[in-house]
Amino acid sequence: MSAHLSSRQSILDRIRVAVRSNDQQLTSDYAQIERQYVRIGKMEDQARIALLIERLREYDAEVVETSIEGLPAIIEAQLSSSGGRTFAAPDGLPAEWLSGEFVWKLDSQTSDVDLEGADGVMTAAFCGIADSGTIVLHHSATEGRRALTLLPDWHLCVLRSSQVVETLPEYFDRCPLAPTLATFVSGPSATADIEMTRIKGVHGPRFLHVILVRDHDAVTGL
Amino acid sequence: MSEPATTNHPIMDPRFAPTFPNAALVELRNPQLRKNVAHATDVIQSKRNRLVAEKTDWLRLRSSASAIRAHVLEHLGTYLEQFEARCTAAGGTVHWAADAAEARSIILEILREEQAKQVIKIKTMTSAEIQLNPALEAAGVEVFETDLAEIILQLGDDEPSHIVVPALHLNRSQVREVFARRMGRSDLTDDPQALTEAARTYLRPKFLNVPVAISGANFLIAETGGVAVVESEGNGRMCLTLPRTMITLAGIEKVLPRFQDLEVMLQVLARSATGERMNPYTSLWTGVTPGDGPQNFHVVLLDNGRSSILGRNTERQTLKCIRCGACMNTCPVYRQTGGHAYGSVYPGPIGAILTPQLMHMKHAQSLPYASSLCGACYEVCPVKINIPEVLIELRAQVVDQERKETARVYDPMYLGMRIANGIFASARRFRAAQRLGRMALAPFTGKDGWIHSLPALGARWTMTRDLRGLPKQSFREWWDAREREAK
Repeated sequence: MSAHLSSRQSILDRIRVAVRSNDQQLTSDYAQIERQYVRIGKMEDQARIALLIERLREYDAEVVETSIEGLPAIIEAQLSSSGGRTFAAPDGLPAEWLSGEFVWKLDSQTSDVDLEGADGVMTAAFCGIADSGTIVLHHSATEGRRALTLLPDWHLCVLRSSQVVETLPEYFDRCPLAPTLATFVSGPSATADIEMTRIKGVHGPRFLHVILVRDHDAVTGL
Repeated sequence: MSEPATTNHPIMDPRFAPTFPNAALVELRNPQLRKNVAHATDVIQSKRNRLVAEKTDWLRLRSSASAIRAHVLEHLGTYLEQFEARCTAAGGTVHWAADAAEARSIILEILREEQAKQVIKIKTMTSAEIQLNPALEAAGVEVFETDLAEIILQLGDDEPSHIVVPALHLNRSQVREVFARRMGRSDLTDDPQALTEAARTYLRPKFLNVPVAISGANFLIAETGGVAVVESEGNGRMCLTLPRTMITLAGIEKVLPRFQDLEVMLQVLARSATGERMNPYTSLWTGVTPGDGPQNFHVVLLDNGRSSILGRNTERQTLKCIRCGACMNTCPVYRQTGGHAYGSVYPGPIGAILTPQLMHMKHAQSLPYASSLCGACYEVCPVKINIPEVLIELRAQVVDQERKETARVYDPMYLGMRIANGIFASARRFRAAQRLGRMALAPFTGKDGWIHSLPALGARWTMTRDLRGLPKQSFREWWDAREREAK
């Protein structure tokens, strides 16, 4: 252990000899990094949503749109269409999302091995990024622990249109504090390791379904 | 470590690998390999070019990515200490490894404490750099690679030939042969879908039962103590989430100042690496989260030559690299030879500058010459590493080294250079040499003014290209004659 401690010191010493860093300047140096790239997109709400849907479909994800009122029925239809019966869900989802037609395994009461037995999983999300077709999970009470959206082969993700941003930097603007956990999902698991042929579904969920809930009018109407 | 003489796979240890020209010759005579490499690099390149073209602010993103990475290197010590403090506060344990041997022993010590006899691994080139797998196996630890390409290599007793797509030198039927043999699956077809499915079935129980995972890191976040891993398949998420203990091995240069800097790096990385707008999965975690994922988390910060690269002005930029592999996909040399000829886990242009420096210029000295200096690598580099500039600097260092070696005193090249030096130093000697050269070459010069064949050492030039014969008159002779006529 003492050998490791001294390695720490010797590495830091070597670095300090190599670059004479001045900590007083650290903040001002950082502030001077040029950032001329596009931070905020210019799209209207409809175009932004349309772009997200287009990108998600390019990744072979299924996307359906609905209103707030229509959500429970759409959820039930999606779950039925999967052909499964047993679904995992985070503990914090609204009760009306968890249709009585199906068997639910709640995050806190399900081991990893039990998750393997679920036919699918349903969660909310933190953010959708239209430009790259990305869904960001922060693993809150409505998104569940990380294994929840990983082990089941089928993932139904409910995203509100007010959560959709156009560019990746806009997502970072929505994080006043850095999340301790985050997973960026851009389409289902894939590989191109064999002859660059894209194969869907290696280890993560092979099927990603997204329900986009139009809540924008409700939000802006406030 | 296994003895290089007895392995049946390419030697990827720069200390024992053959020189680049010798290794390349073997690869160039393998038409299947060249076809596979050309296909893979063509596909990635064209996807990359299309997605870069659609990004209107690409050059500005690239400038920012370069500036962020340069800024980190300027303040590396401070950012590393910041990372260490935040990661520790979040429940992680940070270790520092001065070299490969120390990194291996730290990891083995953790595995001993965990009493782990098996580990699962996410693709990490850094672990290949420190030759981790042979060390683990020698200590009785069974290693399961989980990235599809890494499984192919592990089961096929092969070595990586690319840092992003490590098995790109193999085609589907070669992969099928490996899987059928090593998984006992003679039923497999060579359909990539079936082969991928076989890997999924093979690994699923491992993910759920192996207690310890080892990963690399794409980025360490100083501000939060967080770690980011960028991947496609979900094997990374499995390894990061299911085992009870997680070990992340990261080069000291991998740190970023703030969480928000990912808004630049993630945009340039996926486009450059695989030609995607975003890779399927990016995971970010911070220390240990109660009730979610591994409850023991170790980070091993690896120096292994990096701090000495940092101290050299021209070479420092080598450490800006974010390992996207775009430079190899575009490199006219790599595209012919593939990765194995480089004798290092880091092939291609970035490998040609990184490998000899990691070896403190004591090995892999032929790599800085494995380039035509065309500059294509610099053009595509998302963090603007001027690879040709570093290549030239390293070549100069190799020459300085060689000049000092007594064995090189009669080396024809150095002998020739010393003679040339003497000739060029005096106008009289230069003119005499011109006259002598004209006489000596006259018998070999054809009627067309070209030399098609030379004897002895000169044949090394003429066996692949013609040489223009010397003109009958030099410029100075012509000028003097003209002056005389005018009088």
